[in-house]
Parts: sequence; structure tokens; C-alpha cells
Amino acid sequence: MDFVTLGGNLLGTIRLGDIVLYLTPFSLFLFAVLLGFTVLIGLSKPETQVEATMHYLNNTEVKVGQKELKQRRFLAVICGIASAGAMITGDLFNFTLFMALVGILNIGIVSAVKQTSVLDSAFNYGLIAMMCSLPLFGGAAIILAATGTLSLAVLSQMPASPMVVLGAVLMLLGILGESGVAPFFASKAEMFRTAGSPYIVIIHLSSLFIIVRAVEILLLVLW
Amino acid sequence: MFVPQAFISMYLPAIYAGLIVGFIGTMAIAINRRELHILILTDIVGLAMIFVVSAVGTDLAEALILPGLVVELAETLAISEILITREMRKIEQDPRANLAKSSSIFPQAFSLDMEIMTTAPNFIALVLIGYGIFLTGFTGGAVAGGGIVLYALSKKARGLPVLMLDGIAGVSGIAWCLWIIGFLLFFVAPQYWLLSLFLAACGLLLKVASKVGLIGLLMREDIDNE
Repeated sequence: MDFVTLGGNLLGTIRLGDIVLYLTPFSLFLFAVLLGFTVLIGLSKPETQVEATMHYLNNTEVKVGQKELKQRRFLAVICGIASAGAMITGDLFNFTLFMALVGILNIGIVSAVKQTSVLDSAFNYGLIAMMCSLPLFGGAAIILAATGTLSLAVLSQMPASPMVVLGAVLMLLGILGESGVAPFFASKAEMFRTAGSPYIVIIHLSSLFIIVRAVEILLLVLW
Repeated sequence: MFVPQAFISMYLPAIYAGLIVGFIGTMAIAINRRELHILILTDIVGLAMIFVVSAVGTDLAEALILPGLVVELAETLAISEILITREMRKIEQDPRANLAKSSSIFPQAFSLDMEIMTTAPNFIALVLIGYGIFLTGFTGGAVAGGGIVLYALSKKARGLPVLMLDGIAGVSGIAWCLWIIGFLLFFVAPQYWLLSLFLAACGLLLKVASKVGLIGLLMREDIDNE
């Protein structure tokens, strides 16, 4: 499918050697929204969770140390920028790399929390993400081998051969695992249940946006 | 025809091999129950990814393997960090849980007094370093660095003091500059290609050898702390 049918009028291209970024209202909108969210997350103050104490009538605050919060904020901002990069990139392999980077940063954000259940979940998610790097990168490599290019602008003009379909299916599998949606959500569900909310939210946000973008990329490659 | 037919016909077997290795790795993960083993086994799946990417076999694929490897390494590091943090939290909550009964490999006093134990490591280290210098480049650096590690470890194992090289990081930095200069010369003055090739190769040799040697020294410090 042509990217003009999917994303609206072509506003321009940015040529960086053989990596060509194309700007459509769709990708620009996703990019701008994600950057806006990243700025909001970078500026906002973290929330404090209050937990009811068992058998007593008082509440306990779940506090996060200043140093850990700073590290978490840094990783959250980088995660936002990486997802924004995945929104605007015009190169198949760059998309997979941004995706893998978001996966690593998601693990990093929760790496220092105190709840063992959250760490358990992060460990499981990390294992799934690592296993899914095989279909993710492998799919991109198979598409490269079948067509000879990674540029989405060129790929969208080509008819899909069986090898490209195989590569796209593998990539879909990799994206599902790496962003922790549908069949793999069980690994990621517990990762949000900790204090320090605005920084934790970027885990959720990045995978949502990346799925939207992945649908566009798969449509470009397959049709 | 730039690529020989033999290499093109190897593409499909390579992809199948990668997918089969990945399948075997995931099967092993499904069977295994210990978390550390699972972590190590996921690395096999990561290696299968390198298989599939390198099967493409062009310059571009070579440029894709490197970020793939880096991502793999970063994920392994991040997950193992998670594992360490979690185990620390568990020990904090229940300090006695970690007191497992362990036994030594050698239950009785065990001493070996053979000449080969003192002379062979030095000789092997010397041969490795010499061969590494002969090879030059990345491979040579790795081989020479392995020799340095072997030397440091074998001395440490015998309880002897190890010569401490404080300037190793400096050597590494200068070697990096040599490499960069070699590369720059390659583009600026192509007629001196041999000189720039040797600059780059020797720079890379020193760089990798000192890096691998540093790993050996770090390991030694860890042993000291214990």
C-alpha cells in the first residue's frame, strides 16, 4: 500500500544518505504527540502511592528515593525519544532497533524498584523481549534479503513475494512480544504496579504508539 | 555476478538453521525451570537471530549484525541486573534463606607440585601474545588479550603478586587515536593505504588486547574482594 493512502499527503522527505525519512501528517502527528507526552513526563512531579495497612487503621506511604527518581526520569525521557524516533523513521531496520531500545529502557525503568513481584514481571518480560528479538530482527533481515532494500518508501512500491510475507509475519510476532501486547501481556501486566507513576506510564504509552506505527509499516510492506 | 552461486544457495539453509536453533533454544527454555539457566538459554535464541541476519551476507547485513549484537548484549545485561536486584531484595527480606549447604570440589587437602604448572602458563601466554601480534587487527587483539588474561590468572591462582599496569587505559586511548588517524588517512590520502592499514590494524590490536587484559585485571580485583 502506498504511504500516501495510509498517512495523507506527503509533506516532504529528509535524506540522510540512503536513509530517507518521509513526513506525512500521520507520522508527524504521532511524533509530535509522543514528544509532547515526553516533555510532560519530564516536567511533572512523581506521585506518591498510599497503601492501607493490614489489620491497623493507618496508611503507609510508598516512597521512592530522589536518586532513583532522577534515574527513572532520565530513562523515561530517553524511552519517549526512542519511541518518537520509531514514529518518524523511514527505515525498517531503524524501526526494529528503536523497538528493541524501548524494550531495554522499559526494563531499565523498573530495574531498581523494591517490590519483588514487579522485578519478577520485568524479568519475565525481558526474557520474552530477548526471545522475540529473533523474529523481529530476523523478519527485517528476511525482508532485506527478499527485496534488497530497507527503505519503507521503496518497499511500499514493491509487490509482496512469499518471502516478504514470511518476513512480515515474523516481524509481527517480534513486535507483539517486544511491546508485550496480546499473547504476551501476562509478562508485562505487573510491571506498572509500583510507585512513581508518570515515569512508569511511558512503558504503557510507548508500546501503544509502537503498535499503531507497526500496523502502518506492515501494511506498507505487505500491500 | 558479484556473489558466487555457492553463497547464494546457502541462504535458505542458513535461515532454516537459525530458525531451528531458535526453536531448540525456546524448547530448552520451556523445559528448564531454573531462572539463571533460562537467562543463559535465551542467549542461544539471540545467537540464532545473528544467524538469520548474517545469512543475508551483504555489506548491509554486516552493518546490521553489530547493532543486533549490541542490543542482545544490552538486554542480557539489563535482565541479569534485574535478577541480581531481585535476589538482593529477597535476601533483605529473609536473610537466612540464602544460607544453602555447599561443599567444596576437593573435600580433602589437595596439593599439586609439578613443574609444568608453573612454566606452561607463561609459555602459552607468550605464544598467544606473539601470535596475536602476528595476526594484528581485531582477532589478533583478542588472542593477545587472552594471553594476558591467562598470564594474570595463572599467577593469581598460584598466589603470586601480579604486575599491575595502571597505564593500560592510556594505552587503549592512544591505540584508539591510531585507529582513527589510520581511518582518516584512508579517506584523505588513499595513496598511503598501506600505512593507514597498518596504523588501523596495530591500533585495533593494542585496543582490543588492552581491553581484554583489563577484563582480566577486573576479574582479579573481584577475586581480591572476596
